[in-house]
Amino acid sequence: MQFSKNWLKDFIDIDLSTEIICSQLTMAGLEVDGYEDVSSKITGKDSIIKLDITPNRGDCFSVLGVARELSVINNLKLSLPNISSIESSFKDEMKVKACAEAPSYFGRTIRDISINSKTLPLIAERLKFSDQKLIDPVVDITNYILLELGQPLHAFDRDKLRGNITVRTAFNKEKIRLLDDQELVLDDSCLVISDEESAVAFAGIMGGKESAVSASTNSIFLESAFFKPSIIRGKARRYGFQTDASLRFERGVDYKIQEIAIDRASILLRDTVGGRFSEVTSSTLKNQLPKQTKINLDLEKSNDLLGTKIPQKVALRYFKGLGFVTEILKNSSISAIPPSWRYDLTIEADLVEELARLEGYDSLPQLSLSPVYKKIELNSQSHLSDLLSAKGFNEIISYSFISRDDHDLFGEGVAALEVKNPISQNMSVMRTNLVSGLVSTFLHNLNHGQDSQRLFEIGNTFSLKNTKEVVEKNTLAGLMNGKVNEDNWKEKAKDISFYDLKGVVQDLVREFKGPCVFENCKIDFLHPGMSSLIKINNKIIGFMGSLQPTYLDRLGLNEDIYIFSLDLEGLQKNVSSSYKEFSKFPSSSRDLSFIVNKSISSSSIENVIKSAAGKFFKDIEIFDVYEGKGIQEEKKSIAISVSWQSTKQTLKDADIDSAVERIVNSMKKELGGELRV
Amino acid sequence: MNLDSLKKKISDLESNAKNQFGSANDKLELDNIYRSYLGKKGEVNLLLKSLGSLPQEKRKEAGKLLNTLKGVIEKNYALTSSLLNDKANLSKLEKDKLDISLPGFSSRKGSIHPVTRTIRDVCDFFERMGFDVEAGPEAEIDYYNFEALNVPEDHPAKDMHDTFYLNNEGLLRTHTSPVQIRTMEKSEAPHRIICPGKVYRKDSDLTHTPMFHQIEGLVVEEGASFAQLKGLLNDFLTDFFGEEIELRFRPSYFPFTEPSAEVDIRWKKNWLEVLGCGMVHPNVLKSVGVDTKKYSGFAFGLGVERMAMLKYNIPDLRAFFENDIRFLDQF
Repeated sequence: MQFSKNWLKDFIDIDLSTEIICSQLTMAGLEVDGYEDVSSKITGKDSIIKLDITPNRGDCFSVLGVARELSVINNLKLSLPNISSIESSFKDEMKVKACAEAPSYFGRTIRDISINSKTLPLIAERLKFSDQKLIDPVVDITNYILLELGQPLHAFDRDKLRGNITVRTAFNKEKIRLLDDQELVLDDSCLVISDEESAVAFAGIMGGKESAVSASTNSIFLESAFFKPSIIRGKARRYGFQTDASLRFERGVDYKIQEIAIDRASILLRDTVGGRFSEVTSSTLKNQLPKQTKINLDLEKSNDLLGTKIPQKVALRYFKGLGFVTEILKNSSISAIPPSWRYDLTIEADLVEELARLEGYDSLPQLSLSPVYKKIELNSQSHLSDLLSAKGFNEIISYSFISRDDHDLFGEGVAALEVKNPISQNMSVMRTNLVSGLVSTFLHNLNHGQDSQRLFEIGNTFSLKNTKEVVEKNTLAGLMNGKVNEDNWKEKAKDISFYDLKGVVQDLVREFKGPCVFENCKIDFLHPGMSSLIKINNKIIGFMGSLQPTYLDRLGLNEDIYIFSLDLEGLQKNVSSSYKEFSKFPSSSRDLSFIVNKSISSSSIENVIKSAAGKFFKDIEIFDVYEGKGIQEEKKSIAISVSWQSTKQTLKDADIDSAVERIVNSMKKELGGELRV
Repeated sequence: MNLDSLKKKISDLESNAKNQFGSANDKLELDNIYRSYLGKKGEVNLLLKSLGSLPQEKRKEAGKLLNTLKGVIEKNYALTSSLLNDKANLSKLEKDKLDISLPGFSSRKGSIHPVTRTIRDVCDFFERMGFDVEAGPEAEIDYYNFEALNVPEDHPAKDMHDTFYLNNEGLLRTHTSPVQIRTMEKSEAPHRIICPGKVYRKDSDLTHTPMFHQIEGLVVEEGASFAQLKGLLNDFLTDFFGEEIELRFRPSYFPFTEPSAEVDIRWKKNWLEVLGCGMVHPNVLKSVGVDTKKYSGFAFGLGVERMAMLKYNIPDLRAFFENDIRFLDQF
């Protein structure tokens, strides 16, 4: 809300600079967004103050409300502008009828008005300063009262109303065309103002088109009603809009101000458009009006919580200033009934906040919180990030929502969680893996001249199980391309290969408990011959590989891109808790070279060797793989160094020889491998 | 052969050997010379074998003389050998001289995203204060995001958050506060927790991104007070920025805290909002079954990107999610 600073002077005799006023308001919880000095043709030097009002302070959506706060802060007297009842000259036979959701309804007819009069200059200027468009003198005055007192009013063209007025719930599928020409289909959760034929207004939100005041209007019916917040809340939003009236009613309007507002508006109307005023007709259901309940405050407890020593006398002064009806109870307690304009005060904690607010949050004492000892667990996520960063990877953070196209490309047909109201179609599907974010980031950086990249991201991925249940997983994924290292003045760096990728993955999985194996896999976006599933403890925890050539074509790339992904959920950190003795005896090793069929995987060779190597087996290392000249077409040569060690003795040659013999035999028997001599 | 001619021979050998050693150019030459005297077929050995032609009584003396000769040659050899080594080392040093100003073969440098860095900084402080780091789902349900936090259906407070809704009838959490509820549901008070994570709001312009990061803190214990909340946040901000920071607390509104406050810091003359906080609303504590007679609590939340922008002087929020390597490499 924004308003002219001089308007405040209609209520309080305040003579402070705009800056001080703004600072007082901000520190009282009415955040000032900013102010602008302006010059008023009528009142001289002025400022426009812009407030950002929190939803609990509906009472401050008016100049009166803001003036009231300032009056308490500065201990000033608050007075209302000229509000005396206007003498009526006739009685309109039309009756009004309130209901439980609209327990207070006031109305009056004004005949023979001059709708073409000009809005008073002061009113016009203040509306302009409040960023309110000028419409016609009648609407301008209703807007003025809304800003001044916080009570939304509505003026109907009296001659368009048929019979008596009732406030009722809408019928299911009842249609109404509003002032702004939109047609709504209502249901029985909505409240309408209705004449004897149809709804004429969406109660508390906007008037109807048919009964609107126009340039040809001769008589008006002015409505000043109280609608309960609960019946207005969410209604306009449901249809995708909000009005100045709905904003105030859903936060709560003073339920005792309707008659004051209609009197005040009548005076302004008389002075502007003239006309004959009917008696005010009203309908009030007293027992349906909000009830302000007594709240007890234990001052001692409040002082403890705030760390203050506010005396009872001071507390009482604060509450009275805010409009509470107070009473002193025994044992430092106070009971207080909140004023009719406050809807945010229902429990003791609310009163504590009022005390704190008026005392000034800044002047409340502060105490250091004492630390509590606890064991700090090593964060394995940070550890993995540090490891990758040391390997030259840049951490990225990409949006969790991706485009439908990217999901189709990289989602592997997984059922995705979707955003029903996305900000754009490019952000409408929750990612089921981190690949598309890495690839888009890669492309962005490629376009900016980065040709060798290493990227990683840690973030949640989402999928749907049984159409409703969300499976959310913390995932680590990375992308690499280009060279193993940077070229230097001595040598050109090598291109990275699948095995560089696998090396990174192996360094990562070493951080987790359990044996890790790699298996061939079929993932649409990965090269079938250069990709692998990653398993720990026999559970699939991720994949890695080179991007499928057709994907590279589609992305316009002519070099290989390597990707890995690990599901961090449920992995256990591999921390050694106790030292293990190592052997003091030397180890012995033998280099063995076998000729095997090309199709035989090195892991199967390793497995055969491990199980044949006997109890002193220590380690195995593949140090050469060769295909080509000197080796038959369909064969390859694989050179392996096997080592043995005992914790109790130095091994004899004979022990090693017999192990080698077992290895050679097993290789032949199980894999058809021949020892190369 | 008689003793005199032997003596003459020995003296010749000695001076020859010395000369030859002196003119040796490298270790190989030196060793060859050495072998020509002291090798199996060397001069000294040949002389030793010829001792038999001497009369018995002279042999002992001759043997002694030959041994002395052997010693002299050995000593000379060792001396020359070490001289040659020194010479060889000197010339190696001369030859191996590098242009040490040429660049080294270093490997690429990686980086940790500034948002992650900031989360680590913040969590480090609170972990030292005895807070546990907790996490919760980003795909939430209305109950945890709103209802349990004292935001009923249709409440205007919902307008403060433009929510993304999901096709499973859930939503993307608009703040990290649901983690408070989940933590209090699964374990008993007292609590000290800190919860970093992604949050989502339907907002996208110069100063808003539809996804950003928050860190939520919660303390529920006996005697938790507003004064402690003020003290803790003051200590935290000093720790985070590494210097005393001027800050102010002002009243604000969050449905799940009462009293509620906003914390501003003085930044280049202006007040800048960095934190929201307050005493946990009794309705929230009650909804998770905390005994409000025994315990009170306070909570706070901060925007990670905002803190990172201040700490690292980053002018544009969108840079965080663009992930340009020229940006990332600076962290």
